[in-house]
Amino acid sequence: MSTPVARSVPAAIRSVLARDRWALAGTVTVVVIGLVAIFADVLTAIEGHDPYTYDATALDPATGLPAGSFGGISAEHWFGVEPLTGRDLFAIVVHGARTSFLIGLAATVVSIALGLLIGAAAGYLGGWADRVITWTADVFLGFPYLVFMIALGAVVPAEFPRALLLIVVIGFFGWPSTARIVRAQVLTLKDRNFVKAARVLGASPWQIFRTELLPNLWGPVLVMATLSVPGKIGLEAALSFLGVGVLPPTPSWGRSISAAIDWVQVDPVYLLIPGLALFAVTWGFNALGDGLRDALDPKSVTKR
Amino acid sequence: MSSKKLLAVVLVGALGAAACGANDQKPSGDAAAKPDKGGTLRVLSESRTLNFDPAKSQSLAITTLGLVHRRLTGWQNAVGQPAKVVPDLGDTGKTTDGGRTWTFVLQDGLKFSDGTPITSADVKWGVERSFAPAFGGGLGYHKDLLGGADYKGPFEGKELDSIETPDPKTITFKLTRPYGDWPWIASTPAFAPVPKGKGAEPDYQEHAIASGPYQIQTYTKGVEVKLSRNPNWDGSKDQVRAGLPDEVVFQLGQDASVVSQRLAADSGDDQFAFGASFASPAQLAQLQANASAKSRVVTSKSGAVAYVALNTQKAPLNDVKVRQAFQYAVNRSAYQIASAGTAALAGDAATTLITQGIEGREQFDLYPSKPEGDPDKAKALLAEAGFPNGLENLSLVLNKSNNQTEKAEAIQAALARANIKVTLRTLEADAFETETNLSENPTYDLTLSSWQPDFPSANANIQPLFATSEIGKGGYNISRYSNPEVDKLIEEAQSTVDPAEAGKKWAAIDKRILQDSPVVPLIYTRNSFIHGSKVGNFFIADFPAYPNYLQVGISK
Amino acid sequence: MRYALTRLGGMVLVLLIVAFCTFVVFYLVPSDPALLACGKPCTPENLALAREFMGFDEPWWQQFLTFLGGIFTGRTFGTGATAIHCAAPCFGYSFRQNTDVLELIGDRLPVTFSLAIGAAVLWVVAGVAIGVLAALRKDTWFDRVALAGSVIGVSAPVYLVGLLGILVLGFQLDVVPVGNYTAFADDPVRWAWGLVLPWCVLAFAHGAHYVKLTRSQMLETMSEDFIRTARAKGVPERTVVGKHALRNVLLPVVTLTGIEFGSLLGGAVITERVFSLPGLGGLLIEAVHNRDLPTLLGCTLFSGFLVVVANAVVDLSYGVLDPRARLT
Repeated sequence: MSTPVARSVPAAIRSVLARDRWALAGTVTVVVIGLVAIFADVLTAIEGHDPYTYDATALDPATGLPAGSFGGISAEHWFGVEPLTGRDLFAIVVHGARTSFLIGLAATVVSIALGLLIGAAAGYLGGWADRVITWTADVFLGFPYLVFMIALGAVVPAEFPRALLLIVVIGFFGWPSTARIVRAQVLTLKDRNFVKAARVLGASPWQIFRTELLPNLWGPVLVMATLSVPGKIGLEAALSFLGVGVLPPTPSWGRSISAAIDWVQVDPVYLLIPGLALFAVTWGFNALGDGLRDALDPKSVTKR
Repeated sequence: MSSKKLLAVVLVGALGAAACGANDQKPSGDAAAKPDKGGTLRVLSESRTLNFDPAKSQSLAITTLGLVHRRLTGWQNAVGQPAKVVPDLGDTGKTTDGGRTWTFVLQDGLKFSDGTPITSADVKWGVERSFAPAFGGGLGYHKDLLGGADYKGPFEGKELDSIETPDPKTITFKLTRPYGDWPWIASTPAFAPVPKGKGAEPDYQEHAIASGPYQIQTYTKGVEVKLSRNPNWDGSKDQVRAGLPDEVVFQLGQDASVVSQRLAADSGDDQFAFGASFASPAQLAQLQANASAKSRVVTSKSGAVAYVALNTQKAPLNDVKVRQAFQYAVNRSAYQIASAGTAALAGDAATTLITQGIEGREQFDLYPSKPEGDPDKAKALLAEAGFPNGLENLSLVLNKSNNQTEKAEAIQAALARANIKVTLRTLEADAFETETNLSENPTYDLTLSSWQPDFPSANANIQPLFATSEIGKGGYNISRYSNPEVDKLIEEAQSTVDPAEAGKKWAAIDKRILQDSPVVPLIYTRNSFIHGSKVGNFFIADFPAYPNYLQVGISK
Repeated sequence: MRYALTRLGGMVLVLLIVAFCTFVVFYLVPSDPALLACGKPCTPENLALAREFMGFDEPWWQQFLTFLGGIFTGRTFGTGATAIHCAAPCFGYSFRQNTDVLELIGDRLPVTFSLAIGAAVLWVVAGVAIGVLAALRKDTWFDRVALAGSVIGVSAPVYLVGLLGILVLGFQLDVVPVGNYTAFADDPVRWAWGLVLPWCVLAFAHGAHYVKLTRSQMLETMSEDFIRTARAKGVPERTVVGKHALRNVLLPVVTLTGIEFGSLLGGAVITERVFSLPGLGGLLIEAVHNRDLPTLLGCTLFSGFLVVVANAVVDLSYGVLDPRARLT
């Protein structure tokens, strides 16, 4: 009785993938790029380049542009090379996938965990705690966090691992939206009989959270997590785009896109390849998340 | 799906553009056109503020500020010649006691734009004004020499005793020590006249009283500054300014890539315009495809020396052998490509500290190697110094505003060939300056920098970067190089009045410093600018690597 | 009345916290804003003078209090003939730009508002319209295209779509101008024409959310009892949709619009960089790069102010749109 939704999560995923072609396509995209990220080293070894080595011979000596057409795409360089440096774009994009996945997924875990705890506390405890939390979430939602992250990028010393900083910062600023939804869910769950019963039996709020609330929150949390991964990946890319994300020479799609702006007219491939990779990942997660929501949200079953 | 379609569209578009470029054979006979008097010259500037307050300015004598303000002395520069100091408001100065006291005499009949005569007292007031805390930020090489440590400007009612004006045409400076380059110092912005008693308001830069060919007609913050003719400027009394256009309009806050696009297209008012910022490598690559635009790109012959500074006070770089290894480990060729796409646009490989176009410069190379460097030799030197496995964890700090990422990555990749592992740390401009110029105990090992002397003397190449007095405390000795022998040589050269004799001394110091290898010179950075087809006499002399704004005109 | 006062107090508190955090973070940055007024070469004496003049010589909490005080009483930097006055409400003075911060914000605000309001009108109208149509024609090709399009819109980063738009429409086809902002007052036609591309790109990215939201909300509403009742009573379908269903749908749309409008400045940072528009986002980034603390504080506070106001407006409109909310 107490875990009706939780049991259905894996089943729901299976049924979504079976019924919903878009969600299936999204899942395939995510899995493929995920595998690319995991096996980045192997892939670049097969191609024969790493994302760091400069190669002036791959460049047109008159301009510094990639030698050859379409950004220097060839059997040697599958996605062409970077202008001015001659670094291999395939290696950069493949290793960039690793950066994106690592930061996107880890930041999502941080923000969902925080949002879950804080939102459940607000919903369950109610009263004064609820008011403070709701209000704080409002403040956070309105915080010019981009500015903040830019500032933090300048404060934190270089010795501090950049990826970790981004994970913590992006994750931290992501909790309010999760907390809002969790709070609303908990408010309805709170008055259900099984929660009331547990309370009467003298369970502590933490016990109730773990045994009664959490199992009923997995569904919405999973949907939220899937739908917020692309936002997090996008935010990492946006920060790198603005020059305050991961540090060079670590490859990042956002930084490549930013660098490609200047070159867009003479070497559009330089923009397109990291751009399409970023788009594919965000789209994949969104399509999967939409499908999951339709399957797990009882209200939306009628919609498709 | 729709993304595929998009790709196709873009690729077709790119092909189309390439084809256009090949067929685009516009006649480009406009290069020879000589400018006439008259017309409106437009300057497209990235910057949002334009500073016409001489006290706050670091402007070169031949650019923006020079259109509105004259200075005590001026620069004459031309292609193929070292820059020379020439008379402007006054003569080029005389000293009778070996460079400690300098006297300048002003020309007759000079007037401000408001019609009042320009006197030596106005020049003195201008210099004094540069000491006021409210008007900081300008070039201040004169401050220490005039002994103004406790002086806070003329607005508190005190005068600076080291400047005397015995009559309205004569001005005498009594320096704290002999200084042969004082005539050059007198060409810096603070030596522009400000009518005595005026200029107390913080927005003086928006309505400064002019002594040059133009006066500020309108100043629209962040948008546009319009200069019109100064009726009281007499061209026959000014040998450094041609004053050709009737009007000069600065359009502010322009996006650099948009500027490049517009100037390449060369339509309407843009024919009469030039871009104030350097064309980026991407823009240059694009301009290559357009014959007309290509003919309107002007690239300087030389420029600021770009260098890697090695923190000589921090292990392991406190060992001269280790530092010398860096001279061989860098890859100047990769650096050239990373900075401008090709060596021809980036600039020659640099092996000296004194930049090209400076009197007395001698060309030499203490560490000859191929343009790609010699990693094996670097490894050997490191092994000799006791680091057979190379160096780990060196930190290279970067100034974000200088757009150095690609260049720094090129250095990083080159050093890695010699087993020198470097991490990059990018700081915002003033955080960078705080770390490199102000910190007592900085943590960086390496930094990437470039230096263009503020006035065309080898002194301005070397003293600010290598004198012990310039370490920390705001100075630019960012390799933290301290050698008592060199300090003594610098002092001797500075007090030499004869330029030829001083030039020889500076060349010797250049060699002596590089033996200690506190920095690795990379290239003499070329700057490229693009101008519209009706802009004439747009040239870049040997020094500085900027167009001479004062000579530019409009051709009919 | 008491509600309004609490609300106002809450708003002020939010702004105070935002200002305080910005202040502290930028104080931790190991740099010295007085450097820019120090000159070249910069001696320690000059630096001390510059710091004193700019008010950076006091401890940070003192500076924060001075800043707050300036809002009510105005500030004066320096003394004597060269003093700089910043009249109340003084949100600081940018020494970098030689201007009162409020004036700077005022100069840039029209650009950002032009961008945001134009795009918002476009995306709300188009998004809601497409969403309603898609819901009414559920499972037709229109519905499928709208859904697929909205997933793409949600997924593609604004800057990527923007750059592609510039590349294809601006440079290759040359149908829209690029990087040109004309003030509305100077030439309304050129103003609108210069903003067409940014508007469309923003509307594509943001409108997608509205399509999805409106569609699902509409479907839900149409299956509710009061709609069935209305239909059973013989109310014409147009009235059912227009008067009853749409009203219900607008509630979450208003909330979303409010939230998005509040976070306008954050988004402007990226959009304005892509389209090289001289708006508030650009000012903010310039201020960060130049470590122009006064401008930065002003922008951040202003951004917080927008959020707070947007939230208040959302709450007020709830009362108008939803009769149930009026009681509480």
